[in-house]
Amino acid sequence: MTPTIPILRVRGHLLVSVQGELGDDVVEQFQNDVLSAIERDRGRDGGLLVDISGLEVVDTYVARVLADTAAMARLMGRHTVVCGMRPEVAATLVQMGYMLDGVETALDVDDGLDRLGLPR
Amino acid sequence: MDPSLTEVLQFDEHQLRTRLAFFRIGEEELDRLAAMRPLMEEATAQIVSLFYEHLLSQPETRDFLDDPVLVDRLQAKQTAYFLQLFEGRVDLAYVENRFRVGAAHERLGVPPRWYIGAFDRYLGLVRERLIGRGVAGAELVADLAAVERIMHFDAALAIDAYVAGHLATHARNQAALRELASPVIRVHDRVLLLPLVGTIDSFRAQQVMESALLGVSEEQARVLILDIAGVAVVDTQVADHLLKTTAALRLLGAKTILTGISPQVARTIVELGVDLKTLHTRNKLSDGLELALSLVGREITDKERGS
Repeated sequence: MTPTIPILRVRGHLLVSVQGELGDDVVEQFQNDVLSAIERDRGRDGGLLVDISGLEVVDTYVARVLADTAAMARLMGRHTVVCGMRPEVAATLVQMGYMLDGVETALDVDDGLDRLGLPR
Repeated sequence: MDPSLTEVLQFDEHQLRTRLAFFRIGEEELDRLAAMRPLMEEATAQIVSLFYEHLLSQPETRDFLDDPVLVDRLQAKQTAYFLQLFEGRVDLAYVENRFRVGAAHERLGVPPRWYIGAFDRYLGLVRERLIGRGVAGAELVADLAAVERIMHFDAALAIDAYVAGHLATHARNQAALRELASPVIRVHDRVLLLPLVGTIDSFRAQQVMESALLGVSEEQARVLILDIAGVAVVDTQVADHLLKTTAALRLLGAKTILTGISPQVARTIVELGVDLKTLHTRNKLSDGLELALSLVGREITDKERGS
């Protein structure tokens, strides 16, 4: 069975923390789950925060799916922020030419919730 | 005490045998050298003094020997060194001694060319002695060959020490340079400054990116000011590196402000068609600092106005 990534609903916002190593099937499942969670949540205008501080390695496929998911969530009207990327992951992605343009980023979950406009 | 140079250079018994074989120094050569010793003992004083006469007659080497006390001491050392050639024994202690001689010359800044040149003078003086001895033919040729081989063997060891010395200096400089290359300074809560000075090549650009990313991650900084006022040349490659660093910092969730952009650099960037539109840029570092503070919700105000 494919392990699933839990999606938490926190005060109208969706919070996802991606941990460990991501296989291709897990990433695809993740995209589906996030999009259906947004659909179920229709009518709300909260944001989506994806924490990737638990990811030590991000390959090009995972990077693309993350960027795509963020773009899709945005299209569905969700303010989307990716947070907690590790320095070595950022360096690798940029060296490979993956700038993830258009994806809003934040330092950590705290910073990300600020971006989503959640009061402290 | 310093570690022995034979250890540092990993010169062991095996190396010694290999090298002696390569220079074709065997029992026969060593025996010949030992047999020459009485003659050379007799001639040492004169050979060493003629040798120094040569060094002092050349402007290139004279500069290293401007102190008479030093010359006296060196002459004494030289005598010991010279006679050791005719010990008829080459072991690791011998090698260590030769390494030390080479290292001492390297420290004094005597370039290898004068070292080799001086060596040739030595060889010439010994050759004259052997020829003047009155033994001719095959014996003379074999004796000369033995002397040449041991002296070339010595010179090779000295060069090894030279190279090792240079490499050590180089490594020290590299380390110092690495520390200076990309200092990340915390100028305010969540605001970092990375001033760049000098030339940026791809190796250094990589370091800059690493320190910027680590700095931001450790300090949880929101803004990093990259000041390039001290960067001599900004070409497409440098601009590309700067863009990549900015992009990587953005992935972490931090903003980059590029400051210190001179008219010349601005012209280069526009002419190169590099797209820096997505960047926050400022001419002066002070302006960049104000922008950085505003990004973290602070501002610099006059004391007067506040009261």
